[in-house]
Amino acid sequence: MSPSPAGHAAGNRVVTQDFDGTWEQLQSLPLPPSSALAARHHLDAVRAVRTAADGAHELLVAGRSRLTADLRDELRAEGLAVVDVVDVGGSADTGDAADVGDTTGGPVEVTSPTTDREPVPGRVWLLTSGSTGRPKRVAHTLDSLTTVGGEQPPRTWLCPYAHGAYAWWQVVTLGLRHPGQDILFVEPDELDTWPARALEVGVTAASGTPTFWRQALYRDPDAVAALPLEQVTLGGEPVDQAILTRLTELFPAARVSWIYASSEAGASIAVHDGLAGFPAAWLGRQQEGRARLDVVDGELVIASPRRGAGVDDVLRTGDRAEVVDGRVLLPGRVASDEINVGGAKASAAQVRAVLLDHPRVAWAAVRGRRAPIVGSIVTADVVPVRTDGPGTDPLTEADLSAWCTDRLPDHAVPRRVRFLDQIPIKESLKSDV
Amino acid sequence: MSTLSRDQIRTLMAEVLAAQGKQMPDDEQVNLEEIGFRSLDFSELALRVEDEIDDELNFDAPELRRIATVSDVLDFLEQLQSS
Repeated sequence: MSPSPAGHAAGNRVVTQDFDGTWEQLQSLPLPPSSALAARHHLDAVRAVRTAADGAHELLVAGRSRLTADLRDELRAEGLAVVDVVDVGGSADTGDAADVGDTTGGPVEVTSPTTDREPVPGRVWLLTSGSTGRPKRVAHTLDSLTTVGGEQPPRTWLCPYAHGAYAWWQVVTLGLRHPGQDILFVEPDELDTWPARALEVGVTAASGTPTFWRQALYRDPDAVAALPLEQVTLGGEPVDQAILTRLTELFPAARVSWIYASSEAGASIAVHDGLAGFPAAWLGRQQEGRARLDVVDGELVIASPRRGAGVDDVLRTGDRAEVVDGRVLLPGRVASDEINVGGAKASAAQVRAVLLDHPRVAWAAVRGRRAPIVGSIVTADVVPVRTDGPGTDPLTEADLSAWCTDRLPDHAVPRRVRFLDQIPIKESLKSDV
Repeated sequence: MSTLSRDQIRTLMAEVLAAQGKQMPDDEQVNLEEIGFRSLDFSELALRVEDEIDDELNFDAPELRRIATVSDVLDFLEQLQSS
């Protein structure tokens, strides 16, 4: 890591709602040596990164809404000061906090840790997504978060990820370390309008979850297609062939990549051939600097050199893995995939894949629902593709039932289908599928 | 909590059968096997009732007794709403 953003990538452009300049033009934040930043928006977050890039700080970045009172107390008990940047004309409601003048960019409020300990310089904490209970903290460094090597073609990246998420750090470290890698950050309230902003700023590369891409193509496919994208990246959720094919067709000149990464395992798999999953030939392969991948009892197991500090050498990922026609597919989570219908097992991921194959389905989620006699039955939430003009019959439950009956065993055919008019998306840019 | 009448449940049962390409018989004493009304269909019907009344049925409350005829289905779901 260069000692500061005044290094060779310092001139890379950073664009947020309120800032358009370079890394070296960003004002630093007066951070205590060990800090958890409650970011209001991307500008707070990148200012904290710029400050901590000297390698002397220990830092956690998270959106303010994620840092609940409980979590703040927990972090303080772990020796981190909680830092809020004060809103103009008001103050952050953080309780017993001390004002610290920020001579370079406005005041911050620092709530001191309740446990004293020596900071670990250069440590970067990530909060896991917390989809299964309380978020956990995973320790990295800017080095372990920087996973792109070699010379990169000049690009302007779109970063829609939540502040401090693993994927957010991936884009940030790319911009911080590689000359020619500019970044446009979009806030959650810009998710409806980002294509216009991306066109204006000159975005040529974009990274997002499959749900992010589905939602963008659902809302305004023409605006997305107008972007001169050279790189399209997907990750963070199961990726099916349908979304990969659609993006490949939409951007024939672009490299479409699927990245498997997590806070714990780090970036472990990168596939660029436009096909779902990864080649089965990669299983068991030992290569310097690359993750070793295995399937154990139907679960993806990873030994990753980019894992977080203290993470087991061999990590059970919780992701279901199945080998189909020479590819390893990761259709969903082990714990939530199986629906027991009267003793017969239905795979939520398989049912979802069948629904997504329907030409008039834009998005689907499949769950088991408690039912008498059979224990559970398969249910689905579906967002139909928007149809042009009047005269097109709406998609019906009967249409989907017939489609699934032809492709699934009887017990796996969804018995209740709820139609939604929007693709649900969480702050993490994921859906619960 | 609102409840459905026996006739309303009967209509929902006819919809479940129709979705499977089957017909609701006039005679409620007809055996379920004869009309191909299976446990999955019964479960779907129960969930349709739940969705209509916007409340969960307490499947654990009464013992699931033998349900053999159309009349048994209607009786059971009618009673289940008030348990």
